[in-house]
Amino acid sequence: MSLVKADVRVVKPADADGAAETAITIDPAEPVFAGHYPNYPIFPGVCVVDSVHRGALATAPAAVALASVESARFLGAVLPGDVLRMDLKWTRDGNDWLCGGKAHTGRGAAASVKLRYRAVS
Amino acid sequence: MTNGQIVTVDAEDLRLTLADTMDVDVEQLTDDADFIEDVGVDSLMALEVLAVLEKKYGVRFVEQEMRELRTFADARRMLTTKLTDS
Amino acid sequence: MIMEADRIRDLLPHRYPMLLVDRVLDAEPGVSLTAVKAITVNEPCFADGGDVAYPEVLMMESWGQAAGVLVLLGEELGDRVMLFGSMSGVDIHRRVFPGDVLEHRVRIFRALADTVIFEGDCRVAGEPVMTVTRMVMAFRGVTT
Repeated sequence: MSLVKADVRVVKPADADGAAETAITIDPAEPVFAGHYPNYPIFPGVCVVDSVHRGALATAPAAVALASVESARFLGAVLPGDVLRMDLKWTRDGNDWLCGGKAHTGRGAAASVKLRYRAVS
Repeated sequence: MTNGQIVTVDAEDLRLTLADTMDVDVEQLTDDADFIEDVGVDSLMALEVLAVLEKKYGVRFVEQEMRELRTFADARRMLTTKLTDS
Repeated sequence: MIMEADRIRDLLPHRYPMLLVDRVLDAEPGVSLTAVKAITVNEPCFADGGDVAYPEVLMMESWGQAAGVLVLLGEELGDRVMLFGSMSGVDIHRRVFPGDVLEHRVRIFRALADTVIFEGDCRVAGEPVMTVTRMVMAFRGVTT
């Protein structure tokens, strides 16, 4: 259901403090690269957000649905062949859950993302 | 003529707004911490900060003023001047 | 000022499967724009079966591309690329599905040098499904 074929894997499930670690390998054969952009492949920023989101769903402390991208700051390019590692931190905010994600590749910071989730039954 | 209802600058509310936009803890945003040197704001974020302040307080900054906006103290002073002048 | 997909394709560097704006309904270059993207079950994101809710991030990408068209109607890209700088306060109000037509309403809040700040929302049948408090795009020269 995502445009990105590769799985986001859970490297470290959420611990008692809500810290988790996930990763995704950016395969040069990913379909998105054909269109973003022709002859100039860059992993789309929204796909970085999507990777953080999918990792969040896999490590969430409860059943949740995405309510808001509170912020997403794109700090560095993500390219074919990169391994995107994401350090996640879950915190409670009333009935919502916040997940902060710091994504980085071997070359440095890629993005800083804050997602808000609503608990669903 | 401003379109917002804010007429005075609540210092701690401003500090919280700035810290939130810069993605840092409010404690890091002391009165004299330089946004670029000390807080790590890049040019992209600086423009966002400007936009957030303009929207929140109903004021307008010109490019020259952007360069003068380096600390929390600068922000409070410049906003207060703009709100008093309007 | 209606623009069909071929004119949009001439403006944007994006191609399949990442060209996510179908038609511009109305535009005031450098100010605001209304554009649509129809969601169909025949899209690649639904190819593997499963949930037919459209990925929220693709709704954001589609909106961001509409924002890109708004800028490119007013100025040439030249040898610059358009980079996604950041987004803030992007609220999802409900899920969207094949059969929904996303109507993006984009306004330029501030433009300075090579950076543009956008705001607006996305509606389906007149009902807001996403609100964009702020999206920032940067235009940067390509360094080789």
